[in-house]
Amino acid sequence: MSRQNESTVLFDALGPKGKRNSNIASAVSAAVILGILAFAAVQLAGEGFFEESRWANPLDVLVVQTTWIPAIIDTLTAFALGSIGALLLGTVVGFGRISRFAATRWASTVYVQFFRSLPLVLLIWISFTIDGYFGFTTEVLGWDGDARRLTFLVVGLAVYNGAVLAEILRAGVNALPAGQAMAGYAIGLRHGQVQRLIVLPQVLRNMLPAVLAQLVILLKDTSLGYVITYPELLHSANIIGRDYGNSFLQALIIAAFIYFVLAYALSKLVVLVERRLRKKTAAPAESVQQIEQAAVMAE
Amino acid sequence: MFDNFDLMVAALGAGAWTTVWVTLVSFTIALVIGMILVVMHVSPAWPARWAANAYTQLFRNVPLLAVLFIMYFGLPSVGIVADSWVWALVGLGMYTGAFVGETLRSGINSIPLGQAEAARSIGLTFSQSLSGVILPQAVRAVIPPLGSLLIALVKNSALVLAIGVTELTAQSRRLIEDNESRFDLWGVIIGVTVSYLLIAFALSYLVRLVERRTAFVR
Repeated sequence: MSRQNESTVLFDALGPKGKRNSNIASAVSAAVILGILAFAAVQLAGEGFFEESRWANPLDVLVVQTTWIPAIIDTLTAFALGSIGALLLGTVVGFGRISRFAATRWASTVYVQFFRSLPLVLLIWISFTIDGYFGFTTEVLGWDGDARRLTFLVVGLAVYNGAVLAEILRAGVNALPAGQAMAGYAIGLRHGQVQRLIVLPQVLRNMLPAVLAQLVILLKDTSLGYVITYPELLHSANIIGRDYGNSFLQALIIAAFIYFVLAYALSKLVVLVERRLRKKTAAPAESVQQIEQAAVMAE
Repeated sequence: MFDNFDLMVAALGAGAWTTVWVTLVSFTIALVIGMILVVMHVSPAWPARWAANAYTQLFRNVPLLAVLFIMYFGLPSVGIVADSWVWALVGLGMYTGAFVGETLRSGINSIPLGQAEAARSIGLTFSQSLSGVILPQAVRAVIPPLGSLLIALVKNSALVLAIGVTELTAQSRRLIEDNESRFDLWGVIIGVTVSYLLIAFALSYLVRLVERRTAFVR
């Protein structure tokens, strides 16, 4: 049921007059959009935005080698470690929330509600700040500054996104028709077997798009490493911008562009996976869509 | 445990108030942007659809913090200067607007095709079936996801501390790093946590209220 069908069902097929009107509307809106863009470009050019040195300086080979590439690697490191941590935590807590034991359910619910209502930047920054307040500091472990910062960023990302992923997983289990588990019990499987052989494989397949969508958000959230001066992309862009005083905006735009490329590639992967997995399980397609949507919102 | 309790409450209260009004004002901006985007998305003019899509993709794939930095630290170099709270509202509003637009669009898409077909087959015109059949259902369908967006915006609003707006997180940061008056560390942490939980619960109660008011039996 594509949008195309829906919009055409609301009115009759366009006649010659309607087609002409629609063409005029297209031309007018194109003119308006181009006009806005052209106006912005002229204004920016007037302020020297496009000056070659402003772009060339932050993209100097040396800067690329010593700052941009390490920054991308640091961002991807935080992303990879944070994703692994969040997926592990999310699986444990997600199944904790539907556990047979009340205490486990209760603890998991408290965890999810608590960490979902706090801003990630607060979690990262507070845990980083209070390290060392209680006579114990992670610096004792012999980590240098960046490894320590990476640890706090990754722990923050994992703890927060673990709570979100747990909700996605729980929603996935709830969306699975009850008959699936019942059929498992009916053929004599034990609770653990039902979960492992019937529920989990289907839930994982159903929820993979939602999980990947959440990972795109996690990738964007690595930029919060800025507040604890972890040398990820945004932080490095600030340093480069400061080094080349009049290229500050340019450096930030380059960083934003790199984020865009990384996140866009990841979200294209989501679409690809979604298409391949469609209609392979017993879960109703509609509820999966709703959950995905909820996951995208729950950023 | 709570040294300088009254000062701490006053500071956190001021921060919480900033968080709340920044959230509510920028959410209003986001709603307006989202509505413009969804109109562009369903419009017959392809350049409008294209522009709405470009806007949405841009803001969905760039971190909010980068958006705020570009606005507050970057734009002055091309002669565009504004106070940090202005950029906080504009940045949060534009960023969330992209998500609001997607939510509204999925709300329209969630109405079963049969509804539109039924409206057309009893002779309603395009605008009649849209305003009398599709939109009333779509609006109800998007209230819960819009509510989640509002809660997410409370959390996202913490990022404006990076451009110098002293909302709740920035206030707690100031209190902890304030060595003069020695605020109790746990006091501040508990205070800021409770404040965020209260704001989130209050807003989700509000959303549930609106949801119940607009609910109908299908």
